[in-house]
Amino acid sequence: MPSAFAQPYSFPELRGYKTESRYPVYTAESLWDFIDGAADGYLAFGFENVHVREYRKGKKVIKAEIYRHKDKNNAFGIYASERSPSFRYLNLGSQGYTTEDGSLNFFKDRYYVKLRTYSEDQKIINDLEKLAVRIADMLPGDPSIPSLLSEFPEIGKVRYSEMFINKDVLGHGFLEGAFSARYELEGASFVIYLFEKSGTEKATECVSAYLQKTGMEPDESQEGKYMLRDGYNGTIFLSWKGNRIVIIEGLAKDQSALAERYASEILR
Amino acid sequence: MSRVNYNRRKFLRIGAAGAAGAIVLKGSAAAVSDMQDNNIATRILGRTNIKIPVISFGVMRADSPALCRAAWENGIRLFDTANVYQNGNNESMLGNLFKDLPRDSFMIETKVKPSGVGQNGLPTSQTTTDDFLTKFKTSLSRLKLDYVDFLLVHDVSTPEMLNHKPLIAALSRLKKEKKTRFVGFSTHNNMAGVIRAASESGFWDVILTSYNFRLPNISEMNEAVEKAASAGIGIIAMKTLAGGAFLDKEKTKPVNTTAAIKWALSNPNIHTTIPGMTTFDHLTSNLAILKDPVLNENEKKDLITMAAEPGMYCIGCNQCLETCRLRLPVPDLMRAYMYAYGYSNGRMAYDLLGSLGTGAAPCVNCNSCTVKCTNNFNVKEKISDVSRLVNMPSEFIA
Repeated sequence: MPSAFAQPYSFPELRGYKTESRYPVYTAESLWDFIDGAADGYLAFGFENVHVREYRKGKKVIKAEIYRHKDKNNAFGIYASERSPSFRYLNLGSQGYTTEDGSLNFFKDRYYVKLRTYSEDQKIINDLEKLAVRIADMLPGDPSIPSLLSEFPEIGKVRYSEMFINKDVLGHGFLEGAFSARYELEGASFVIYLFEKSGTEKATECVSAYLQKTGMEPDESQEGKYMLRDGYNGTIFLSWKGNRIVIIEGLAKDQSALAERYASEILR
Repeated sequence: MSRVNYNRRKFLRIGAAGAAGAIVLKGSAAAVSDMQDNNIATRILGRTNIKIPVISFGVMRADSPALCRAAWENGIRLFDTANVYQNGNNESMLGNLFKDLPRDSFMIETKVKPSGVGQNGLPTSQTTTDDFLTKFKTSLSRLKLDYVDFLLVHDVSTPEMLNHKPLIAALSRLKKEKKTRFVGFSTHNNMAGVIRAASESGFWDVILTSYNFRLPNISEMNEAVEKAASAGIGIIAMKTLAGGAFLDKEKTKPVNTTAAIKWALSNPNIHTTIPGMTTFDHLTSNLAILKDPVLNENEKKDLITMAAEPGMYCIGCNQCLETCRLRLPVPDLMRAYMYAYGYSNGRMAYDLLGSLGTGAAPCVNCNSCTVKCTNNFNVKEKISDVSRLVNMPSEFIA
């Protein structure tokens, strides 16, 4: 029975503020009660629970939410799905950012943390940042970013465009668990998806499923390269080697050399 | 697995078949008007007088622009998003997709959540006109549009919100300035109550409401929806799958999604639905409903089976009270169970159990349970599970 009870965090104190914990711990079954329709997005990234605290100083409020997800990849996934390259980025936890409307969000290991104030008082905003640092220090886990992200070539990569897509990559149920990054280079704009499967067989199963979906014969080789025509996704460059698969979307048929260059670098 | 000699390093093979299955291949805007006339089931969306396909698109979880484009090319016209979805990235994705398409070939519905709304669903002094206008301005910018078709107040659960003057002022102003064609609200708590209130106000054009085959108060909901539709309000159904693709926590009992959506559409006062779609297979399945929205016999059977599955939480109907031979406060015990297992709030469950005074084993002197639960709960098992909490030392309880 105790497994049903999420252990509470000892939220850090903030001098001059009273803390309130009138929120229950929301789980996958009750997240809708807290964030309405946005819940589905969190559930898609292995959401487990969220702890909420409010810090009050008079009428000024800072709200802190700690979302726990299944693992680091999923925490990065939900974090990345809500960020924009235009935000001001911070070296906080694994990575974080602030926005002009009083939000500060970061992730660390399997945790995604969101802080928010509606106050425009700079002192309150400073306190919010202090609180964020304390929460980051409090949370357990490894602050490094998911290791697969370092496999993406730097040339042409749009900063802070990296994502993790847990399911239904490119609208296909058989494509699961990809990191992606957007590239802009030589007048082209394209997205690279990188999958790391648990083994070579899983990778070839995934490749074969994609080939069959596009009307081709399955290929059980341990490595290979194809150019596919995938309905609304357009031209797709598919490469794989061992347990890794690279999919490039957004390039035209005559840009195979560019696709080849990037795929080779990742699968070297 | 057989090994094949690796000999194609230098070559890129070309596969040319479309991956879209039953979906029509990529076409032009001209193809869209063909689809509109091609036996797609439509209904009139209340006083908006818009002829709308019965399937629309809940975009929230769809991060594939190609999927949205495919939906549009196959006749889906209304795309639902919100200011808060993916922190605005969902609106931006739609903005990038639709910016080059004819403006009269698609409709955008976005939702803005007013600030300062308490957990009780009531507005506060922070629920202001300016706050709402600022958020909507951001939405419009992300959507790259001059106007949206439907602007909804996000997550309304009290009639007080519907009458909150700062919100009415914001919506009226945006409608007057033609930044939105129609105004409405979304609701997934106390739906019947707020829908009834909206019917009497004459202000609201559309309502986006939870509506599914597992709603406990379906008669009350149907009456409210009928009243709203009679008052000329367009009704859009969401959460038609009753909370997910599976009926159980263990994900062993999948929902027949087609049957669930068709069930919602079996009410003629439901004008369209916004199922979430993340794959081309989902889209293909939902496009089939556009052609044939009527439940067949197998789907009806599946609905009966699905409806008989117990939900996770007590609906508080109190009909069990008379059936327990020990006269236990079963609904309260079920509430403790919800606190414990739904909200993971052991403290609330512990305190409630303490106040009930039912002890750690309320059913111990009863050999066979006589409780009849309208939700088909195994009441004895749930009471036994949660009541053990009473024996835990207080300092261990979160």
